[in-house]
Amino acid sequence: MSGNGQKWVGKAVPRKEEERLLRGLGKFADDIKLRETLYLRFVRSPYAHAKIISISTSEAEKIPGVVCSLTGAEIALQTQPFIEIAPDAGGKIRDYPLAVSKVRYQGEPVVAVVAESPAIADDAAEAVQVDYDALDPVVDAEQALSDTSILHEEAGTNKVWNGVFEYGDVEKAFREAASVIEIDRMHFHRFSSTPLENNVVIAQWDHKDDRIYYWCNNSFPSFAIQFLAAHLNVHIDRIRVQTFDIGGSFGIKITSYPQMAVCALASRKAGGRPVKWVETRSEHMTSSAHGNERTFRDTRVALDENGVITAITSRHIDDCGAYPRYEPLGCVIWSQVFPGVYRFKNARIDFSQAVTNKCPVGPNRGYSRMQHLWFLERVVDICAHELGIPADEMRLRNYIRPEEFPYTTPNGCVYDSGNYPRMLELAKSLIGWDSWRKKQAEAHKQGRMVGIGIGTTLDSGTNNFGQSQIVNPGAPFSGNSQGANCKLDIYGEVVVAVGSCPQGQGHETTAAQVVADVLNITPDLVTVRTGFDTERNVHTGFSGTYASQFAVSGLSAVHGAAQKLKAEMTRLSAHVLESKPEELEFGIGAQGPEIRSKSNGKSINYWGLANIVNVNSAVLPPELYEVTLNCRYIWRAPFKVPDTKRKYGNLTMTYASQLHVAVVEVDRDTFIPRILDYVAVDDCGTVINPGIVEGQVYGATAHGIGAALLETCAYDEVGNMLTSTFSDYIPITAMNMPNVKYGHIETPSPHSYSGAKGMGEGGAAPIHTISAALQDALFAKGVFIEDSFNNADSLFRALHGETGQAAKLVKVERRVGSKA
Amino acid sequence: MSIKFAGAFEVSRTPEDVYDFLTDPNKFAPLLPEFRGVSVEDARHFTVKVNVGISYIKGIADVKMHLAESVRPKRAQYKGQGSVAGGNVSMVAAFDLALAGEGTRVAWQGEAQVFGRLISVAGGLLEPLGKKQVQKLIDGLQAALHGEAGSIL
Repeated sequence: MSGNGQKWVGKAVPRKEEERLLRGLGKFADDIKLRETLYLRFVRSPYAHAKIISISTSEAEKIPGVVCSLTGAEIALQTQPFIEIAPDAGGKIRDYPLAVSKVRYQGEPVVAVVAESPAIADDAAEAVQVDYDALDPVVDAEQALSDTSILHEEAGTNKVWNGVFEYGDVEKAFREAASVIEIDRMHFHRFSSTPLENNVVIAQWDHKDDRIYYWCNNSFPSFAIQFLAAHLNVHIDRIRVQTFDIGGSFGIKITSYPQMAVCALASRKAGGRPVKWVETRSEHMTSSAHGNERTFRDTRVALDENGVITAITSRHIDDCGAYPRYEPLGCVIWSQVFPGVYRFKNARIDFSQAVTNKCPVGPNRGYSRMQHLWFLERVVDICAHELGIPADEMRLRNYIRPEEFPYTTPNGCVYDSGNYPRMLELAKSLIGWDSWRKKQAEAHKQGRMVGIGIGTTLDSGTNNFGQSQIVNPGAPFSGNSQGANCKLDIYGEVVVAVGSCPQGQGHETTAAQVVADVLNITPDLVTVRTGFDTERNVHTGFSGTYASQFAVSGLSAVHGAAQKLKAEMTRLSAHVLESKPEELEFGIGAQGPEIRSKSNGKSINYWGLANIVNVNSAVLPPELYEVTLNCRYIWRAPFKVPDTKRKYGNLTMTYASQLHVAVVEVDRDTFIPRILDYVAVDDCGTVINPGIVEGQVYGATAHGIGAALLETCAYDEVGNMLTSTFSDYIPITAMNMPNVKYGHIETPSPHSYSGAKGMGEGGAAPIHTISAALQDALFAKGVFIEDSFNNADSLFRALHGETGQAAKLVKVERRVGSKA
Repeated sequence: MSIKFAGAFEVSRTPEDVYDFLTDPNKFAPLLPEFRGVSVEDARHFTVKVNVGISYIKGIADVKMHLAESVRPKRAQYKGQGSVAGGNVSMVAAFDLALAGEGTRVAWQGEAQVFGRLISVAGGLLEPLGKKQVQKLIDGLQAALHGEAGSIL
């Protein structure tokens, strides 16, 4: 009998998904072909802010093959506005999937046309006439807060949310500081994700059973159906959502529920025929979702005589675009990493969020935390440079120490484990720190601009949704959970279903590894269902794939379900094999996976067990009737509801960490920044599958490098998006990726059953790291890096005194006793 | 995206003649570049059909024009709005007339605001193309009024 206790968790098992995906055999939403499908096209607003004067669809509807059209006014009569998570005033916003009386961002859907073919739908969309009366657009969040031009009249203000997060004794820390550094303004830019597959929705509102069927690639379906059911006035059980292979989401596909609503309503209007919408790339760039943009004002940092940060105060203004949708959750989610990787205890952050006439944001990879982590890393580097402390030394003085874990942050989050000094040591060793410092000194003598930067960051995983109550005490969410089912099918096949919604993360593989370890079989004997399906009945209200949590929530659910199955198999086998449970061993025999009695040598394979339960049940004694070999398990995170008044509580279960080091040179003639060397060190606790983890690290690194140097959602002063195609929005590809040296350490999490931590978002470490390296290259020239996006143009302007002038924007007050 | 243009030229006609010409849609509209047709609604409103082509983006735009200001024989100002290929254009064009010897000095200025996806696709081309088209309009206007060549400032 094989099996022999070999453990699969921790091994670089090849991905089960690889075979079909690499051979082009993956099944994606657009691959779904249904009879009598119709095709939907959106007519979108060219204006960022305008009143809709009139809409005429009559010419479009005359085109042969056009079935129907929908307008916002029509939808508003049939539906409820989408749920708003914000309290008032943001909670008063009335958000419909098509613009009703005014448009609030360029690319906002105004009319949907439905036709027999995509080409006819395109032509019909061109024939729709919409008259607008342009209004003053607001494209800057700080300006939006002045309310000179209001986006949502019903809210009466552009401010969606405001709150002050204050901990410790800030005033005392500033009174006692040896140095105080003030930074006027910093800005984290707007960028997005560019998944290979755009949004796709097929919806059918079936008249025969009055149910809505979705085949789509939304990545948080259990969230989507909660919004859709309330919006469409239907019982949530009447909505079925199926997803399949998904070509990336990075969080951006979470907010496709408005388009899902339109497709369902169009199907109903079209007599119940399926309606398909396949987003174009430029639609995706202008109108799906962008990452949050954030401005940091009036930052003050108190430091002691050794350069240890003792307090930070700042004012943060977040730009959520035209409609809050998933927001204002980002107004609290950043506080999962309130002090970053640092030990300071005193801080006051005044956080506001505003709507602007730009594309709504979605929870883009590293959501809300990366902006804050970038801010903290900039603060640390600016302080280090101003005080003349080397960047690595500055971090060592300020890092949370390994012996302090589990570490409770000033706002009550509990960092499970970590060892940042060891990561720094490893990263320095991999990149050849001392050697690069010598090369850098030589380069500076030659007038070259070479810098070395460090970015230390966190990937907090498995949210406590109770943090939503910090932004809205009336929000009905707290905790977190995930479901899974593990069964022996009628012929004894091990089949697993999970409530996650993978988009390339290898869930089928890692779930199979976990089950294989529980049953002492091999992962190839475990079938894991692809995609998500509400009908599998394994989802909870939190099911989906987001927020770096599958390794904890998903695999804990799978592990729980597998253990339940094993317990039932043990009970049934003990009866059949006439043995005591403790005499049984699981493994693989001549007839496949089996259970064998060590006492009498009898065995039964999985087919035999499944046969008894499913088709030969007359042999079962009544006391075993409850054995189903079909085990559903709901894993729940052990969270408590946070103290909403103090904004205090544990908001996340695990904290993976990343430490990157980059060497960057700014070309003296072209000002193009070029990466000369790059190291990424990762710690996600116990590694389930090293190959998958390494792949995720490379992916997150690529995403971050792209964001730092190439990718920006630029708008002009009237709200035209200037980067709506890949000609101007330049996504990173293998062609412009540097070689990345990868290293990892493991500090197992005491908070998860396996010691694993959620990972994959990567904390946007490259953005912090490249900003740090550029500052190191340019600080001697009086430049400080004030923006997270830096390309040749912005560096040219900084080096020519137009932006980022340290003398104007950074003030240093040294007091008696400062050694730094 | 905003494109601004301005200039001046002189013609031998009187200000009254120039004003009457500028405010007559049937005379003025055909001077617009890539003109295909005009339908006049009333003395102050007309819609012009023009060909639009920016690289591979081609189409026909309906531009609704409105004579917003008219002070004979001193000033005429048009406001217009049109849409094509995923973009909208709003424009204002004003002509200020002054006696110059026995003729008229025509000082013109305008601004076009372009909105929509067109900016992202062809933003870099729009300003030079817009100025070229405006120059054609002014050249045509001068020719029609028997004036001398002007230029965009």
